[in-house]
Amino acid sequence: MTRRWAQRAVIALLASVILMVGAGCGAQYPRDTHGSLRAATGGSLRVGVSANPPWTEVGADGEVGGSEARLVESYAASIGATVRWRVGAESVLAEEIDEGQLDVVIGGLTSSSPWTEKMAFTRPYATVQSPNGDSVKMVMATRPGENALLVSLERFLAHQDRR
Amino acid sequence: MTAGSRGTGDGRELPEPLQRTLRAAIRLEWLTVASQLVIAVLVGVVSGQSQAMKVAWIDDALSLLPPAAFLVASHRIRRSPSADHPYGFHRSIGVAHLVAATALLAMGGYLAVDSLISLVTVERPPIGIVVIGGHALWAGWLMVVVMAVTNVSPIVLGHFKMKLAEPLHDKVLYADAAMSRANWTSALATIVGVLGVGLGWWWADATAAVVVSAGIVRDGVSNLRSAIGGLTDRRARTFDDARPHPLLRRIDELAACQPWVDAVRSRVRDEGHLFHVEVFVVPTDPRQFSVQRCADLVEALRSLDWKIHDVVVAPLPALPEHQAFPPEEAEPA
Repeated sequence: MTRRWAQRAVIALLASVILMVGAGCGAQYPRDTHGSLRAATGGSLRVGVSANPPWTEVGADGEVGGSEARLVESYAASIGATVRWRVGAESVLAEEIDEGQLDVVIGGLTSSSPWTEKMAFTRPYATVQSPNGDSVKMVMATRPGENALLVSLERFLAHQDRR
Repeated sequence: MTAGSRGTGDGRELPEPLQRTLRAAIRLEWLTVASQLVIAVLVGVVSGQSQAMKVAWIDDALSLLPPAAFLVASHRIRRSPSADHPYGFHRSIGVAHLVAATALLAMGGYLAVDSLISLVTVERPPIGIVVIGGHALWAGWLMVVVMAVTNVSPIVLGHFKMKLAEPLHDKVLYADAAMSRANWTSALATIVGVLGVGLGWWWADATAAVVVSAGIVRDGVSNLRSAIGGLTDRRARTFDDARPHPLLRRIDELAACQPWVDAVRSRVRDEGHLFHVEVFVVPTDPRQFSVQRCADLVEALRSLDWKIHDVVVAPLPALPEHQAFPPEEAEPA
């Protein structure tokens, strides 16, 4: 009896989720848990950056540069947002993005970086050779649960890649 | 004391229709092993970073255990009794049942603990995109499709296995069919979870899994109890452990209605597909009693049902004291 009840509950839940997905398709799917993408669109994208040349460089005057910084700037432009930089160490940025003070973190992160509990990595946007000959997959990070932002950034990076 | 046993049966001693059923069950289980292997590879490929999909993968790997145990056991039971194994090899079914029940419990327990942990620690699963042939697609859709497609075969196979479990009196088959069912409910939960995550409900995934795992744990526990009961000589019960087996009453009735029998106490244990029956009888009058009558009773009992195979009739001057149970314990069958 209990298992039948459980099955029915799951089926009912599935039906309601499908309905909601259907209803929500016109708007945005997948959606963010905290609406990061919506907040950033036409506003500002809060990006944490830790210096890791040549991916990210931070000048003495706080000027942010590097290939990833340029990528993020053109992504922000694509959603009509301006970038608000926040420079810090990876460990500090990891805490801040987990707490929701940042939307994106860059800094030459790779798919084997240790911050998967605190941030959600994008799919690798490039594969490069490290100095010791291993192939390394370069990723950026978004706040976990912000899947609309993750998907939007990933689509942008995939698009860049094909050019 | 008259021993009427001809040795526990091997597979060939099952009646012809049941041998066919057993062969069908063996074919079904081979199909299950093959399809589970394909599914485990497929799910492993698409699971990526999704925790729910990883759990689904472990479920798929675990559900290889019951069919494997069934196939090993149904191979072992073909052996005839030997000096070293005088009761035959049908108990292998009981061991396989224990393995299947443990796998079921492990699967449910893992699912429950894993999803509770992600609920408590507020893990918000990231699901990004996959690029297939130059097209970017939300990975959630791919997971939903794989979970839906890979669970067609467990549903179909589980349905047929459940149908064979009762006529064969096969508890391994029963546990395995329950596992197939568990598999598809957990797949459904994964789909609900992934779609929910897409709506921004980070908890949907884990909550759906907790609901499903409760049912699987329940099945695992009841199968484990049933398997341990069988192996520790609990009185024979129906294939789904619901009640004492109806044959128990018929054995007592048949023995009691013999004119030369005054009192009867039988005990029946489940050897696998077959029952091992011991009947203590007290003759009304020593002059009425003969070895031939004992042998006739053994034959009569054996022809009651194919499951009654190994029968020992023990005539005694009085019923053994330690076998006197209050009548209320004899549940109506």
